[in-house]
Amino acid sequence: MPFNDYETDATELLETYDFLMKYIVIGEAGTGKSCLLHHFTHNSFKDHSQHTIGVEFSSRTIRLGEKRIKLQLWDTAGQERFRSVTRSYYRGAAGAILVYDITKLSLIASSFPSSRESFQKLSRWLADARALASSHLVVVLVGNKSDREEEREVEWAEASRWAAENDVHFLEASSLTGDNVEAPFMLAARSILLSIESGALDPEKAGSGVSYGDRALRRVNSSSRLSFGSLSRGQRRPVKLKVKNWVPGSQCC
Amino acid sequence: MSLSQTPSSSSVNERKTSWTFQARNPVSLRLYKVLGTTFDDEATRESLATLSELYAKSVTAKGKETQRIDTEEDGDDETSAKVDGPFFVEGVPGESAARARKNLRRDMEMKLTEGSQHFLKVLSEVDEKLVALQTHVAAMRTSCDEAEKQLQLTDEASKSLLERAGNLREERQEVEVKKSIVSLFLSRFTLNEEETEAMVSRDVPVGKRFFDAMDKTERIREDCRVLMAGEEGPTKAGLDIMTSTSSHLEQSYEKIFRWCSHEFLQIGRDSQLEVSVTMREAVRRLRKRPELLTEALTSLSQTRQNTLQTSFLNALTRGGPSGLPRPIELHAHDPMRYIGDMLAWVHQAIAAEREFLEGLFGLKSDRRMVGSVRAFGEKPSEEEEWIRELMDLAVGRLCVPMKIRVQQTIKSQESSITSYRIVNLLQFYLHTMQNTIGKDAILSKALEELTEMAYKSFYDSIEAQCRGLLRAGLELDDSSVTPPIPILDHAQVLREIMSVYQSSILEDASTSDQIAGFRKIADVMVNPAVEMCIISAEEKKKVRHKWDMEVFVLNCLTYLLSVLEPFDFTSEAQKSIQGILDTRVEQLTDDHYHNIMVDAGLDEVATTCEKHDNSEPLSHIPSTEPSQLQIALGNFSQWLSGPEVVHSTRLSSLSLQRLHNKIHHTALTRMAKAYEMICEQVRRKENRYEAASTLLGSERPFGQVALLWQIFGLREDGL
Ligand SMILES: Nc1nc2c(ncn2[C@@H]2O[C@H](COP(=O)(O)OP(=O)(O)OP(=O)(O)O)[C@@H](O)[C@H]2O)c(=O)[nH]1
Ligand SMILES: [Mg+2]
Repeated sequence: MPFNDYETDATELLETYDFLMKYIVIGEAGTGKSCLLHHFTHNSFKDHSQHTIGVEFSSRTIRLGEKRIKLQLWDTAGQERFRSVTRSYYRGAAGAILVYDITKLSLIASSFPSSRESFQKLSRWLADARALASSHLVVVLVGNKSDREEEREVEWAEASRWAAENDVHFLEASSLTGDNVEAPFMLAARSILLSIESGALDPEKAGSGVSYGDRALRRVNSSSRLSFGSLSRGQRRPVKLKVKNWVPGSQCC
Repeated sequence: MSLSQTPSSSSVNERKTSWTFQARNPVSLRLYKVLGTTFDDEATRESLATLSELYAKSVTAKGKETQRIDTEEDGDDETSAKVDGPFFVEGVPGESAARARKNLRRDMEMKLTEGSQHFLKVLSEVDEKLVALQTHVAAMRTSCDEAEKQLQLTDEASKSLLERAGNLREERQEVEVKKSIVSLFLSRFTLNEEETEAMVSRDVPVGKRFFDAMDKTERIREDCRVLMAGEEGPTKAGLDIMTSTSSHLEQSYEKIFRWCSHEFLQIGRDSQLEVSVTMREAVRRLRKRPELLTEALTSLSQTRQNTLQTSFLNALTRGGPSGLPRPIELHAHDPMRYIGDMLAWVHQAIAAEREFLEGLFGLKSDRRMVGSVRAFGEKPSEEEEWIRELMDLAVGRLCVPMKIRVQQTIKSQESSITSYRIVNLLQFYLHTMQNTIGKDAILSKALEELTEMAYKSFYDSIEAQCRGLLRAGLELDDSSVTPPIPILDHAQVLREIMSVYQSSILEDASTSDQIAGFRKIADVMVNPAVEMCIISAEEKKKVRHKWDMEVFVLNCLTYLLSVLEPFDFTSEAQKSIQGILDTRVEQLTDDHYHNIMVDAGLDEVATTCEKHDNSEPLSHIPSTEPSQLQIALGNFSQWLSGPEVVHSTRLSSLSLQRLHNKIHHTALTRMAKAYEMICEQVRRKENRYEAASTLLGSERPFGQVALLWQIFGLREDGL
């Protein structure tokens, strides 16, 4: 079976990529970071999720227009006692998925949610990430557990305002139903690609959290200029997908 | 014809009328028949035409001069001219017709003769021709016979020829079949030029064409082996094929090896790793030549080791090309961040390396996440073994620079709390790595060593702290009985260490594991503190007799206990302190009881009563003779009205109010019991007190024990 592999497009899809991006997934304990990531990489809800100990790694290659992007995903523990460990993994991350639980205002706000200090805990996560990760860090705020609408404590509009004020992307998702689970990762990738396109971000530089993959390098060699025009137009060539070979993500260790 | 018709038509009518009369008359019948004959039929007309023609011709032939007139006349009256043609030469019309009628017979006979003569002449000619034809036919027959004979001969001759041709055809078919078999065989058992080139030549890149050729070679060899295993045994052709394919195959493996080595050198130098499909296929094939694979992978490993080490050193000392992210060493002053960043870097490198190696060996990732437990017990697959070994070597190289730095950091720590934090950080990574890359991995071993070292350094530091504590002793001038500053400081450190420990406990750790994990620290830190309190208090007591050592010790012990209490895993230490505390409380209670008995003036009386052996009446013993007893009871009565009954000044120095109450109440209870005993003794006849009731009733509580309980605010059952 591996013998046939080297011809098929599907395999190529898995093997090569244009960019490699490092993401961190952060936020208070129990907000559903591991579940969100699990749904993104395994396409299913993670039952009986335990608190993450330290950090866990997984990866998945996504397609954006004609670009293939491999995401290195670092799921961090939200518990305070792991803060000193997890902070070391922020180093050089290109994207951060900041997760909160829409049913628990107490997890993001101080004791007086109506005061100006609201979302103070989120601000702390954000400040930490901005201080330690890549200087071009793209942050996506994710209000998780959107399936529990009846228990909602954090209003969409409020979170959205906070996101706008803090210059981060925002959306709500459910790791249970899978609703909007891919969007934050795609959104961050798109945003990072755009800043590469605009020249603000240089993948050649270490610490940017992004680097060129083999595919992109090959193209650079031949044309010496990268164009992302295809990104917006999204004209893709049809790909034969061997479904049995296609795993939405792969892990290490 | 028209001439005769006109009269006939009229006569028909006539005849019809007379038909019945003349019907039997043969002449009339004959006549009628003649008359009824009509000459207007085709044959009659034709013969008449012939006749007229004949005559016309004969005239023309006689006189040429009349021809012109004849034609003129023709134009004038066609009918008459035609009817009269032969006889109508000149002069009078009807002359020629008459002449014709006259000569018709003769003319006809003449014509007939003429015709016969002509016929004869022609027939003789025909006869002549027929004779000639006969000769020809005869000749032809001879020729035909000849031909037939010839044909017969040919036929015979060609029959054998045909036979031969048939045979040849068959042979040709056989040959054809053989040929296709041979070409099939050749295509199946030999490589064509292109394939050989693909395998051997450096110009054909390692890729699909190359791999296809290799596959074919393998197939040939396989088929060949099957063939040679047949009854005839190895054939020469078979052996030849095996030899030539073997050489090609070896060359192709060499080619893969060279290619891999080259590629490995390239990708080995990259910090970002990607495995192409071709590379994975190449590695998969090379596994059939373990020595080549080993060699290639060894060089890969070498490159990877160097590359990783270089990137690690860069991250440590230089940071990114533009200084971002900052070099890790920039935070060397912050030991937790410094060590944490280093280990996180290594961890991330491992993740990338693992993905690379899994890709290289075509291992489908088991979707395990870093940090989650990997079973190392079962026998690993060959690929897994490779991956582990390569990973181990690559990451192992990082251990040297990492170890040096961690060791330096450990050594330079002065605070035992930081030391302990480092211990925990290292232990966390030790745990993670053991689960991720195995217990025997170089990095795991290094972390084990470092953790041990950090532990040692931590224990050294807390032990030193404890020695200092013992050495410090107590301030002799200090009359206070509260825990001294060194103990407070020590407890503060202990408290922080405990909370660090608390945060390091894994959710699923059992209580006994939690206790065991802290036992050593408790042994080192708690016991000496207890010891210090007791020993140095005793030392101080020797110098300052008035200083209340007992209360001091109790205060220290309860304080230490209160420090430990929030942490469940210190239950053992708590128990041991509690044990000491209980004994001490008992001692203090005894002491306190004795003191209040003395203060109340009952001590001597009570002691005498207790020791009394009935050898002589109590009233005869000096210390309990009635006058003495009276004084004692009087003192007691006075004491009962003093403040000491409710509140002991001495015990109020106990920091724990609960303890104060407990000790004091126990002492009072015993006092009440002692008073009761005294009363009983006094009332006994054998003790010969006169007016015992009066004696007892003269002072409070008037010999009524129940009243005493009331005064004490206690109940007899001790509640
Ligand atoms: N209803 C609902 N429950 C969710 C969702 N996502 C996660 N959960 C639940 O939330 C709990 C915590 O999820 P985790 O993913 O383990 O949380 P975490 O953020 O990784 O926590 P730490 O690892 O301790 O930082 C689990 O019991 C999940 O079942 C969601 O979208 N909807
Ligand atoms: Mg988690």
